Amino acid sequence: MKPRYVFLAVISGLAVASFLAPVVSPSPLGILQNWGLMSIVLVALTIVAFFFEFETKATGSKEIALIGILGTVSAVVRIPFAAIPSVQPCTYLIICSGYVFGPLAGFMVGAITALVSNFFLGQGPWTIYQMFAWGLSGVSASYLRRLNPGRRGLIFFGVVWGYLFGIVMNLWFWAAFVYPLTPRTFLVSLLNSLWFDTAHAVANAIFLGLWGNKTISILERFRKRFQWQTSGPEKRAAALP
Amino acid sequence: MRSFRYQDRNTPVHRLNPFPKLGWIISILILALVLDSPLFLLLLFLATLPLVRASRVGAEWRAFMKLALYLSGAIILINALVSSHGTHVLVELPGHLPLLGAPVITLEAILYGVAMSLRLLAIISAFALLTLTVNPDDMMLAMIKMKLPYKSVLVTSLSTRFMPTLLDDVDRITDVQRARGLEMDKGKLRQRIKSRASIVTALLTNSLDRAVQVAEAMESRAFGTGRKRTFYRDISFSPSDTAALAVSLLPGALGIFMGTHGYGQYQYYPSLSWINLTPGEWWLLGLMVLLLVALLPLAHLKQRVDLD
Repeated sequence: MKPRYVFLAVISGLAVASFLAPVVSPSPLGILQNWGLMSIVLVALTIVAFFFEFETKATGSKEIALIGILGTVSAVVRIPFAAIPSVQPCTYLIICSGYVFGPLAGFMVGAITALVSNFFLGQGPWTIYQMFAWGLSGVSASYLRRLNPGRRGLIFFGVVWGYLFGIVMNLWFWAAFVYPLTPRTFLVSLLNSLWFDTAHAVANAIFLGLWGNKTISILERFRKRFQWQTSGPEKRAAALP
Repeated sequence: MRSFRYQDRNTPVHRLNPFPKLGWIISILILALVLDSPLFLLLLFLATLPLVRASRVGAEWRAFMKLALYLSGAIILINALVSSHGTHVLVELPGHLPLLGAPVITLEAILYGVAMSLRLLAIISAFALLTLTVNPDDMMLAMIKMKLPYKSVLVTSLSTRFMPTLLDDVDRITDVQRARGLEMDKGKLRQRIKSRASIVTALLTNSLDRAVQVAEAMESRAFGTGRKRTFYRDISFSPSDTAALAVSLLPGALGIFMGTHGYGQYQYYPSLSWINLTPGEWWLLGLMVLLLVALLPLAHLKQRVDLD
């Protein structure tokens, strides 16, 4: 059985079990109702599943070198912007990488950005949620490409991810530290970071609006020049399918 | 910002193999999320302190704790505002707010917020120790030894390795742009963002060339041809490390046991009560602290063994 199916089965199994836990019997499965713990486990499993997928899909030194360096670039650019709070160009770089090089590359660049920059900015339980959120922004960017979004579409996408990122990051905060766990309390937790999320969204819009197309064409040219693809010349969409 | 990274010191904790430290963090994370009782959470936090002290990173650890205290404030505030389940009403705010309704602040909600802050402090204290005492390179090596997917770890370690190089690039590009008359800190926010972004595109094109060089270097060293790879730098795994790893994972196992059997829980709502622990729970509490602190004597022991 391929690892991806094993992971899919385990993740969905755990999710279903946590829904069934209160119905079946309260005591031994009670730990599955601990949402703080469950969300960490599920998010971590998702990340590991993507890493295993990368293991089977990435074949050569080119993909590894490219993804590693793109991850570093987007981790490093967190530094010159540290003077302006919440304005960070890494989300825009991850979106552009996913847009050009495909979903898997997008996820890896996003995940590496979070993991590596936190070696320098401080690791914490937030690391895996950042890996997850940035990774998914990269994945979704590659699907955005099929819609031929144009400049406005890219800006809108950046704004959406500014807020989605905040929602994912608030998820663990809410699940682990707030009582009771209801939609209302979740909304209040979101208000807590609304200002930062808005800054993030606006910054994404500015970056994607002003440099999105330029960055995409830089990456696109690079991809064509070095043929960053593994599966035949007719499949032109992405380096990593 | 510099203080949030690895600090090279020669202490038993730094010399400890990264595996037991990773296991210890996972244990703390499980315990912190499973336990509910303020007493258990307080002792969990206190149990992280001996290792922090022994690793001599107090100043940097305090920087982490400052961040944690800021988050704690948010936790207490949100819990106090959203939860109206308690019976001991302290303040009844007038008026009607959107989302919050008529906010009622109860003693129960505040105590719950304080306990949750202790949960956060324990987690952040443990992660601070991980960030400050584990060299990123050793962490990568540990991940490879754990038989994690090799290429993913290689990508990550490549990225960690290039971080300082690209930081130098950023400095150089900034200097070049300044020399060309670009003013980074002048003008409105939009202007400042615009001038800084010129660094980003320059860095990107420069780094893409670096990626080609790295790929060429990997090819010329026959990457991907051998079945079994060798290591230039190795982390040894002695019996004492295995023992330390086993010990570090025990508290996590204890946490899962307590979670499935309902120990270490406390009923905050609807009304507070005194913490009445059964003798069994006292034993579990003691065992938890003992197991968490046990890593320290093992670290000392390892240092002694290594030096002999």
